[in-house]
Amino acid sequence: MTKAVINRLRIRWDDYRRRPFLRLVELFVARLFRGGGDADAEGLDLGMGLALTLLALPGGFVSILLLNKYGTFLQWLRGATNVDPLVISFPDEYFFIVLSMTVTGAVAVWRWDAIFPDRRDYINLVPLPISMRTIFLANLVAVFYLAGLIAIDVNAASCILFPMVVGATQTRFLFFLKFAIVHATGVLLASAFAFFAVFSFLGLLMAVLPPPAFKRVSAYIRGLVMVYLVTLLSTSFAVPDALMRAKGTLPQWALLLPSSWFLSLCQSLRGRAGPELIRLSALALPAVAVAALIAMATYILGYRRHFVRIPEMTDADVSHSAPRSSRMFARLEDQLLRTSFLRACFPFVWKTLLRSEAHRLVLTGVSGLALVLASQALMNAFQGGKSWRTAALSPDALAIPFVVTFLVIIGLRLVFEIPLDLRSNWIFQLMLDRDRQECANLGRKVILTLVVPLALVIAFPAYAYLAGIRVAVLHTLVVGTWAVLLTNAALIRFRKLPFTCTLPLFKQHSIVTLLSCCFGYLIYAVSIPEFESSAFRGPLRLLAMAPAAILVWFVPRMMTNNTPEIERKLIFEESPERAFELLRLSE
Amino acid sequence: MLEALQLTKRYASLPAVQNLSFTLLPGQVLACLGPNGSGKSTTVKMLTGLLEPTRGLVRFHDRDIHDDLQQYRKMLGYVPEEAHLYPYLSGWEYLEMIGTLRGMPRSELDAKINSLLALFSLHPNRHASIGTYSKGMRQRILLIAAIMHNPEIFIFDEPLSGLDVTSALIFKNLVQELSRSGKLVFYCSHVLEVVEKVCTDILILRKGVVIAQDSVANIGQILGQSLENTFLHLVDDIDTLSVARDIVDVMRAA
Repeated sequence: MTKAVINRLRIRWDDYRRRPFLRLVELFVARLFRGGGDADAEGLDLGMGLALTLLALPGGFVSILLLNKYGTFLQWLRGATNVDPLVISFPDEYFFIVLSMTVTGAVAVWRWDAIFPDRRDYINLVPLPISMRTIFLANLVAVFYLAGLIAIDVNAASCILFPMVVGATQTRFLFFLKFAIVHATGVLLASAFAFFAVFSFLGLLMAVLPPPAFKRVSAYIRGLVMVYLVTLLSTSFAVPDALMRAKGTLPQWALLLPSSWFLSLCQSLRGRAGPELIRLSALALPAVAVAALIAMATYILGYRRHFVRIPEMTDADVSHSAPRSSRMFARLEDQLLRTSFLRACFPFVWKTLLRSEAHRLVLTGVSGLALVLASQALMNAFQGGKSWRTAALSPDALAIPFVVTFLVIIGLRLVFEIPLDLRSNWIFQLMLDRDRQECANLGRKVILTLVVPLALVIAFPAYAYLAGIRVAVLHTLVVGTWAVLLTNAALIRFRKLPFTCTLPLFKQHSIVTLLSCCFGYLIYAVSIPEFESSAFRGPLRLLAMAPAAILVWFVPRMMTNNTPEIERKLIFEESPERAFELLRLSE
Repeated sequence: MLEALQLTKRYASLPAVQNLSFTLLPGQVLACLGPNGSGKSTTVKMLTGLLEPTRGLVRFHDRDIHDDLQQYRKMLGYVPEEAHLYPYLSGWEYLEMIGTLRGMPRSELDAKINSLLALFSLHPNRHASIGTYSKGMRQRILLIAAIMHNPEIFIFDEPLSGLDVTSALIFKNLVQELSRSGKLVFYCSHVLEVVEKVCTDILILRKGVVIAQDSVANIGQILGQSLENTFLHLVDDIDTLSVARDIVDVMRAA
């Protein structure tokens, strides 16, 4: 009996799923996750399951890490015996709100290209007997579904774990329940707001700018949004404190900070908000509604401008001007790029970096992070009213070019791994000698072409003005030397032509690589500037860096020399490691 | 009957197609020939209703197709020039989606998909994702998607692209069978031998204007030459042999 009912329900659901509209929604949801664009352009396609898991991880991890703060035993050890969990959870709740906004906003930025149906959808769907309105509505439903799914996914772990952690000291289940409901309301609304706000902002620009202009600036605008989101996250530790200290008058910046509206909403719902926070909380719901409305309006406009006109765009004749070449660059190229491999691949790598949207987006994100960390270091350097010279020679100020070069080098190294339309790499497979590859050399030249001028621009002029030519030269020399050494280290066993190999698989040593990056950052961007700062009191002390520098230069060389011949060959595919190895004893 | 009446399409001020008129009758296979940029793709887009003409109209059974575009598209089977398919769907899933969107009943759809996949030698690969398919396999999927709802009108834009010899032969015979059963076929191609063999009538375009329109037999007789030479004479009056020699000279140059 039950089996029959289940079977009937399954058949009914199957029939329901097969309705054209739902089939279209299903297709658009898949496209939103797998990306739009060309049919087989292989980018960072993570698949729905893995993408959702990765998005859910930060909230879960942070909640678990907070056990340390809310555990009664640890509180007792710290001497805090009578703690109000609602008071101490204030900054953590703010962090979760910001985290949910950042992750959801970043997803909206990342998937922006796939939000509108593209040429492939046009060719496949428009000749079918379905109206443009149906396609429009199905895609809209898919976008809203995605927004909801991401909001729930990003916050699911924190909505359960964080209230559990906060309520660890409470005996009543009702406390947990109330806290969880209010927290969920806050973070989910914050997520929805972030999604619609990014959508509205990009959509408005799309509606205002002509399509070719929008295409050109799109990656940079998206990069700016990413910088804003990263800034929001990196300042999340300071904002709650400033809000708590605001008694009587509300700081003006709080009115412009959406994350503070949602935090205030949570406090209001718990009855813990003062008049200032109540004023802020009143902005939360209207903001979500306005962002959703603007997103809808821009979606309609964007759909009309970009999807409906696809056939006209593809047939329109577009003329391009020929690129200008300079004699100086040609001479520089002759000096830098001595082999035909380098002369062919160096421009290829640079053109890809500058023209591929996905690669530009990652680089812009990394640059944004570098900007945020550098500005934080600058602020720290000038804290306490130090003189310009003292501040310039402090470890914080000296760290700025190190922070920037570290992130650019590691960022570029990461970007080299992102494949771009692998169908096109047959030309390299056909022409390159796999035994005689110069990939590490190529990677080094590409990275240093960007990093060396960057180090010069950041380190030299400011220090020449603030601390004299001698300090400027030494500082630039130190930054340049360590940048070259870090580049060498980052390219150990690099044997791919950038962008032409399949994505590396997640392996056990990926975690080791990640930890090495964190450790490397501490040494490169924290310890070296500290040592440099102390060495400027007696410049001869800088010579003490030499053994470390020689070691860092020697180790990658030794590792490269010791690499077996088979592992030096140029690769175009990251093959999975075998679970077992054939010994071939009979051969 | 499908009629194109004084079809004109302009992009900004640039004319892509000008005053194109023809009639396509049941059983007729009309080939559309022309060099790159002659307006073939624009013509196809106007015939499928993807583009609205700047002037003129397309009529099917004496009705403007834009009066009821959906009804027209129900009777249309279209193979586009490029095989832009969804690489994350399997061949079977893609066809099932297209059939569902066309409103085909489930039982009929499943049976048709299975039979057509088997006939086009794709049945063993039906559950593999399209991303792993070769160009020819993708083209076969497009062909199945265009014919499985038994349409009245077929618009094929370079349908043989990437097909192997057997599949190409099957397709050529299929077009002739469709013609015999009274369907209307509009066939865009660069392969003149196939056009000569498969089509009944020819329309030659140059810079958006019709420069010749007649039956295959008559067009050849006009100049007493093969279709290839007639085409070259009408479209680009250039000495192909001398161009080929010039290319080799440039290749050899130090």
